Amino acid sequence: MIQNNALTLHVEEITKDFVGLRALEDVTLSLHRGEILGLIGPNGSGKTTLINVITGFLKPTRGRVRVGDTDITGWPPHRIAHVGLARTFQTIKLFRGLTVLENVEVAAVSAGLSRPQARERALWALERVGATHLATIPAGALPYGEERRIEVARALASRPIFLFLDEPAAGLNEQESDTLLEMLTPLPRETGCGMLIVDHDMRLIMRLCHRLHVLNYGRTICEGTPNEVRHDKEVIAAYLGSGRRMLPC
Amino acid sequence: MNVLHDVLQFIINALSLGGLYALMALGLVIVYGILRLVNFAYGELVMVAGYTLLMLGAGPIPWLIVAVISIGMAVLTSLLLERVAFRPVRQASATTMLITSFAVSALLQNMAILFISPRAKAVTTPSFFTENFQVGDLLISKGNLASLVVSLVLLGLLTLFLRRTLLGIALRAAADDFVMTRLVGIRANQVIATAFAISGFLAGVVALFWIGRLGSVGPFVGSTPVLVAFVAAVVGGMESLTGAVIGGYLLGALTVGLQLMLPQSLLDYRQAFVFAIVLLVLLFRPQGLVRGTATAERV
Amino acid sequence: MHHLKSTSWWPTSLLLSGPLLVLALVVYLFGGEVLQRILIVLFINLTMVLGLQIFMGNSGVVSFAQIGFMGIGAYSSALFSMSPQAKAMALRNLYSFLVPVQVPFVVAVIIGGIMAALVAALVGYPLMRLSGAAAVIATFALLIIVHTVLINWSEVTNGPRTLFGLEAYTTLWVSVASGILFLILALWFKETRLGLQLRASREDEAAAASIGINIVWVRWIAFVLAAFVTGVAGALWAHFITSFSPLAFYLPQTFLIISMAIIGGSASVSGAVVGAVAVTAIFEGVRGIENAINISTVFPFTVSGLTEVCLSIAMILILILRPSGILGSRELPT
Repeated sequence: MIQNNALTLHVEEITKDFVGLRALEDVTLSLHRGEILGLIGPNGSGKTTLINVITGFLKPTRGRVRVGDTDITGWPPHRIAHVGLARTFQTIKLFRGLTVLENVEVAAVSAGLSRPQARERALWALERVGATHLATIPAGALPYGEERRIEVARALASRPIFLFLDEPAAGLNEQESDTLLEMLTPLPRETGCGMLIVDHDMRLIMRLCHRLHVLNYGRTICEGTPNEVRHDKEVIAAYLGSGRRMLPC
Repeated sequence: MNVLHDVLQFIINALSLGGLYALMALGLVIVYGILRLVNFAYGELVMVAGYTLLMLGAGPIPWLIVAVISIGMAVLTSLLLERVAFRPVRQASATTMLITSFAVSALLQNMAILFISPRAKAVTTPSFFTENFQVGDLLISKGNLASLVVSLVLLGLLTLFLRRTLLGIALRAAADDFVMTRLVGIRANQVIATAFAISGFLAGVVALFWIGRLGSVGPFVGSTPVLVAFVAAVVGGMESLTGAVIGGYLLGALTVGLQLMLPQSLLDYRQAFVFAIVLLVLLFRPQGLVRGTATAERV
Repeated sequence: MHHLKSTSWWPTSLLLSGPLLVLALVVYLFGGEVLQRILIVLFINLTMVLGLQIFMGNSGVVSFAQIGFMGIGAYSSALFSMSPQAKAMALRNLYSFLVPVQVPFVVAVIIGGIMAALVAALVGYPLMRLSGAAAVIATFALLIIVHTVLINWSEVTNGPRTLFGLEAYTTLWVSVASGILFLILALWFKETRLGLQLRASREDEAAAASIGINIVWVRWIAFVLAAFVTGVAGALWAHFITSFSPLAFYLPQTFLIISMAIIGGSASVSGAVVGAVAVTAIFEGVRGIENAINISTVFPFTVSGLTEVCLSIAMILILILRPSGILGSRELPT
């Protein structure tokens, strides 16, 4: 793992083409340790594709991804994980046949810890997301709302320097979303990680994020603080066009 | 002159063997495309048709009618297996389905051992399977020629069926995206049953020519056809019907070619070479040498 | 929360090996020769299915190649255990440098395991990228290749003909030792870092990669380890049966060990034990009936294939009714 507090993740002019479709075009952004960056945009604007490119699940057509001075473009996902990038998935991907504790433990041993250390780290991560009581349950038997928290705990257990959360609030009600907010807010300060979060829950995004990055049709249309983005004409137009409401009333 | 003769003979042999192999592969792929089931029991459909040939062939019924009944038996068996063994595990993982078909294959083989005989029995086949005729210098086996013609005709008919009939179109759609086909309201059971019926039909036709070549039928008569089908399907691309056909012809050419070119000391290892090629294709072109329409159209 | 027990392999080890040891002791003291031979077969089968479980159970990738490794173990151990005289009789065309080589039985068995592991290591790495149907066909292709080589490499295998003249070194206690040893190994492996990573990759490949698991690597290690165990099982079997041909290492045997894994439940070591015991019992039981029928000449023909028919029906029923096997992924005693 790279140990450097001043480390920054740089995404430089990433373009990703699928057959007959440009999913991302010249997207550039950076993510610093200790900050929370919100990546938002209408459905199909390329948010998940960007996370997939950064974490190695897709190879970009053009552009680079760097962590500090290390160019990780095109590395396989498991190597990128060893650099200290962790993620969750939009469609929940838990190890359903393993217990909740094992789900989280395996992330810790894969980050290089011994079994006893990994046990300790896993228990910490479960406590952090408020799921200690679920430790011995098989992950396949979890209720939907709990699954996302276990994914976050799994990502945390690898002690990431950059954490990517893909729609962690999807399917949660307002109260559960508030709990999530309370859980996520102190994380960057406590663990020193930089966090990139994709979600459609604007209530959560606006209160959680320090900065926002807005995509539309694979292109950056706006960057800035939540307040700046909220009043940006192009952002409003994009959201109106998609029929989604940007602002919670 | 001699070279030209050799080349022509090679082409004729490769095409006729390839046609048979293409039919074998097609019967396997048509089910795989829809269910993602690698059906090990496909070879036993050939066996069932073969035993029907054996039992009725010696009697007074004309061979053509026996052949039709044999094909019918393969179709029925295929439908029966779908209903009894494969439908209950359809929702399970691909691995579970595959192992089920492995068990079904073992069951049928051993039923043949138990109730008929562990040994192969001679089948009376029409003489034209073993007769040759001469065109200039070329020696052409009538059986080979028939298998070439029949495979071409069947491939043509199958193509028409898949392109022109509603059920055929549904079948192709299901091979692309089974869930979607269900959503637009085509009955899954009917589509799957059709695929199994076609698979059984092809196995039956394969049996006529395969057993015609061998002259006998035993519990393991289906092993070679199913292996050939695996290889051709993998090489051609498991998800593409066209690929299966091309894979069949490629394998036919390869088999005849290795026979000609390998030195005698290595000829016994021919099977190892063929399967080494399978491994290489799986590793470097897992989608097969011919990219399936199914994969190409998907984003 | 620190009262959470660490997952441990030894209670299961004791629970599974205890009854097996008692069974062996009872048969050793009171059973006749026939029963002893059945028990030896059971423990060799157990070793073999444990080899399969180590790879297939933990990785979720089906391997049809195991019996090929069994064959490699059998033949290579035979080459090292047979006396020069026996080799001169049975392997007339053996390379001359191998003729005088003879090592103690245990060493020969380990060599058998190592040879199998070596072959697995050399050809296995690229194969570990595959899963699902592609993996099945690839490992199946590997089985066929190994089989073709065994049949044709007559210098070391006597070709398709029977290789004879091995000493019957594999006693009941040798087979018991192997079964119990690898039982403990399999349980321990499952709980190692690698075992845990492998099981995670079985459940979800993308998620496993996202937390830093190199799936190809962890599968490869398990594949090589599994080949070693299966190679040892092959070596033990060779010195139990004492004469065999390459036909012994092909589809019927593959069917047998896969049925053990499926019937017991391949995801757990307990399942492998239950499967080995159940299938061996069915197999030997029905074959006993078969033999009795044939000896009594009730029918004018010999009955064969009944055993396999019963086994395949049992397997199909399990797959339909309880696809994860009798025990599923549970380890006893939970």
